[in-house]
Amino acid sequence: MSATLALAKTNVPNFAVATFGTIGIYITFSCIKLLGIGLYPSLLFCFVGGGLVGVLTYIFVIRPLRRRGATSEEIMIATLALDIFLIAMLNIYADYLTRKYKIMARDFTLSAYDFSIFGLDGVFVVSTSVFLAVLVVLHLIFTKTNLGIAMKAIGENPSLAECDGVNTEFLYIITWFIVGALPALAGAFFPVYWMSNPTTSMFVVVTVFSGCVLGGFTTIYDAAVGGYIVAIAQTALVSYLSNVVGTWILSYGFLIPLLIMIVTIFVFPEGLRSLSLDRLLRSSRYILTRLEGFR
Amino acid sequence: MISVPGVEFFTVLVTYIIIFLIITLSYNLAYGYTGIPDFGRAMAAGAGGFLCGYLPGRLMARVLGIQEDYLENVILIVDRINRELEKNPALSIGLLVLTLLLAALAAGALGLLASLPIFRGIRLFYLGVTLLSIQISFNTIVYHWEPIIRGEHGVPVPDPFGWLPPGPMRSIGVIATSAIVLVIVGYYCISVGRSPLGRLLKAVRDDERSAEALGRDVRKLYVKVMVISYAFSGVAGALFAFYQGYVIGLHFERVTWTFWPIAMVILGGLASNKGTVIGTIVFITLKRLILFYKADLEAFLPFSPVWLDGVLLGIILILLLIYNPRGLLPEKPEITISREDIERIREDVSKVL
Repeated sequence: MSATLALAKTNVPNFAVATFGTIGIYITFSCIKLLGIGLYPSLLFCFVGGGLVGVLTYIFVIRPLRRRGATSEEIMIATLALDIFLIAMLNIYADYLTRKYKIMARDFTLSAYDFSIFGLDGVFVVSTSVFLAVLVVLHLIFTKTNLGIAMKAIGENPSLAECDGVNTEFLYIITWFIVGALPALAGAFFPVYWMSNPTTSMFVVVTVFSGCVLGGFTTIYDAAVGGYIVAIAQTALVSYLSNVVGTWILSYGFLIPLLIMIVTIFVFPEGLRSLSLDRLLRSSRYILTRLEGFR
Repeated sequence: MISVPGVEFFTVLVTYIIIFLIITLSYNLAYGYTGIPDFGRAMAAGAGGFLCGYLPGRLMARVLGIQEDYLENVILIVDRINRELEKNPALSIGLLVLTLLLAALAAGALGLLASLPIFRGIRLFYLGVTLLSIQISFNTIVYHWEPIIRGEHGVPVPDPFGWLPPGPMRSIGVIATSAIVLVIVGYYCISVGRSPLGRLLKAVRDDERSAEALGRDVRKLYVKVMVISYAFSGVAGALFAFYQGYVIGLHFERVTWTFWPIAMVILGGLASNKGTVIGTIVFITLKRLILFYKADLEAFLPFSPVWLDGVLLGIILILLLIYNPRGLLPEKPEITISREDIERIREDVSKVL
């Protein structure tokens, strides 16, 4: 949702989105290990901290590039450079934590800090609730408030919106706050199930982009559906295949999102939205007819 | 006391500069001249490098009639192969040339595959995302799939320079071989830059639709550039693997083999071969100096100095894009008719009118 928001509202292809998530991981880790705050109370710090990183990204990277009239490729490369910078900074921070506080700041999990409710993992309940809350809040902002409508306007035509008296600068800052806050919030949940380190983003970036491509980089709803489909497909298929062919397949789980991304780009590059029910029915009918003919 | 770089530092530096010049010149062809945002370049170098770990050893084992399982006994087998190669310079050179050619072929084939999304006419951002994702997946497969190069354990690479006397002569052998490849790649890139093809590539980069309207098959051109450019990078990857003598699944990662070359090209100036050379020399020297002074810096810093590499790359690249996007030696405008000729034509026309 964050990557889609950045592209749709501010026309910035953000390659650092997954690393914004790793920032969330380390904010949670620091809250738990240094401040003694619990896993879920640290979500607030993740939201604010991630949001601040997003705003700083806009102020120090995106805004100067826009003012210079940088091309889309240049902005893309700048976000990649930011990604490398942030990964290096996270590594430095991990080194610092290890040396100063003697904490294992790499390859850690935070599963010990989770709870269980009605036989379900706390992380499942909380992450789903947070996701739904975020979706509802964003929906309300974009449809019911002047702020959201103005954000839509800057996504469509920033110059026209500015002529209409919209404070685009303020809106870009708000958008980038959300762009930074959402992945950081997601990052807080990540170490409950998976081993985390400063380079975690490199392993999840394919899944993240696959969800965005499937969603078509258009609206947050499509991005949410795309993300869910990719994540469920990856988890379910890998889990099924590991029972059938063996656990070695677990290392190749990333190939499923890659496959989804490639199929999306080649078959329906506009994403899920371009798949109308009519088109799906026609395709299925065509395939069935061919199969019958084959028989 | 601060250490002073010795001869070894400079031989390593020169080797790295030459190998990376092959990468950056070929990248400049794709990005600088043609405008393809190829974020999967590490894959091209990896294709050459990993092929070096996979093929020459197995090939030589077969030639020498070694029956044992290659991967299980790889260290002993490669040691035996190296002893044979030391005795036979002709075989060593043959193996080197054959591997470099196959590396170019393998990387070129990968370039063809990587250029397929272009045929769909996808948005630039999608192309960047796809190539980056394919590259990450490619490296992860090599890392996890042990039958290729034993993944994280890696394999030794047969040494085709072993017949040279040990010490500086081997380094000179590597440098000379890399320099020959660089001359070929450099000559090709400079020739393209000066030819009508170079102007066509720039025209496609600046306005794809106009070039298409003038009857140029833009998609085919993209594919050709990707294949040639990947093939050159593949050779660079193979040379690097031969130079290191060992290749593991972690080699050819995206920061060193994609983003550093992007920074080098941008620092020098897009579509400027001279600028690319300067950018490469500056960046590689900086990178090697950080590594050289790693131990000295370690005493002052509360973290490992290796991370300075990423911090500097990120900051320099962002600053370059903001303040000097055209690089140190900006691309010169293409003027096909001289100013005098334009003035003369204008005068002639005004006389007629």
